[in-house]
Amino acid sequence: MNYSWGVLSVSVTATGRTITKVGIASIDDGGNPRSQSIDQQSIPMLEQQAMQAQSANIQGVSGASYTSTGFQQSLQSALGKLNIQ
Amino acid sequence: MTGPAPAPTISPKGPAHFLHRFDVMGTVVTIDVWGEPSTPTSRISSLLERACLSLRDADDVFSTWKVDSPVSRLRRGEITVSMTPPEVAEVLDLCSAARELSDGWFDPWALPGGVDPTGYVKGWAAQRALAELEDPSVTGVIVNAAGDIACSGGLGRSEPFRFGIVNPFATGEVLCVVHGATALATSGIYERGLHLVDPHTGSTAAKVASASVTGPDLGLADALATAVAVAGEEGLTVVDAIEGYDAMIVTLDGAMRWTAGFPIEAR
Repeated sequence: MNYSWGVLSVSVTATGRTITKVGIASIDDGGNPRSQSIDQQSIPMLEQQAMQAQSANIQGVSGASYTSTGFQQSLQSALGKLNIQ
Repeated sequence: MTGPAPAPTISPKGPAHFLHRFDVMGTVVTIDVWGEPSTPTSRISSLLERACLSLRDADDVFSTWKVDSPVSRLRRGEITVSMTPPEVAEVLDLCSAARELSDGWFDPWALPGGVDPTGYVKGWAAQRALAELEDPSVTGVIVNAAGDIACSGGLGRSEPFRFGIVNPFATGEVLCVVHGATALATSGIYERGLHLVDPHTGSTAAKVASASVTGPDLGLADALATAVAVAGEEGLTVVDAIEGYDAMIVTLDGAMRWTAGFPIEAR
């Protein structure tokens, strides 16, 4: 999927209906240095955030971020394919 | 983004929950719709299509990235407000009201490069898209525009939606949960670097790590979140005086403070 600074796809590993692992399957940020530094910082955090949101029983996250939306959407798309949402 | 609106891609999530993702305004907007179990998918599709067109239209008119958008042309002085679509004057009036309500802490006229209503538009556009989704067959809707959320209804039997607020110091974590908010906007320095401008000094400055605002309308909540991020603790007092709106800040040293009505859940 496209996000503000490039293309990102997310992999989700599930056991039954429980997510066991969330990861970045691929990322192409066009080599933009600012984008790369954001990616390095935010992606591990976003993986953790996705896991937390699932356990916190919330319907959305409010925050000042832009990679995160790309991540969340790619995540939701991956979840949709697994039919576990 | 140019070209015709894409057909909505709908991922059924359970019997009556639909999720739609829409790339617009340089970011991603997600729309969650809960409908009566008997609601035909085609009905939801058509509502989503209307909402997406509304968002796309907002992007076409207000984008400061598209050089030929009416707002870009306005900023360059090529046209006057009277030559733009009527929603431009509407949003500028709302920005003016927000400037007054925020004691000048939100000021699209104080930004470099000419008037820039972007700080209001994302929330305004999401709120307008939400209105397009009002329908007797719909029991709950969430429009999440890159972390700024407008919603109506709830999770069946009027159970209100719950939203997490990101921890600005560990953006992989949810810091706290709010519930029952109809609009929730968050602004902070970790978002796009130091993009926040103090309208009183013209310098880039944020006095808090993050600021969140709840209230009935996401356009104003979005503007006020920006205002509070720049104003700091003083911003809490400003928002507290505005009927229906509440605010929470995370200070630079990590403390959380909020106005009395902020719908934070006890932890």
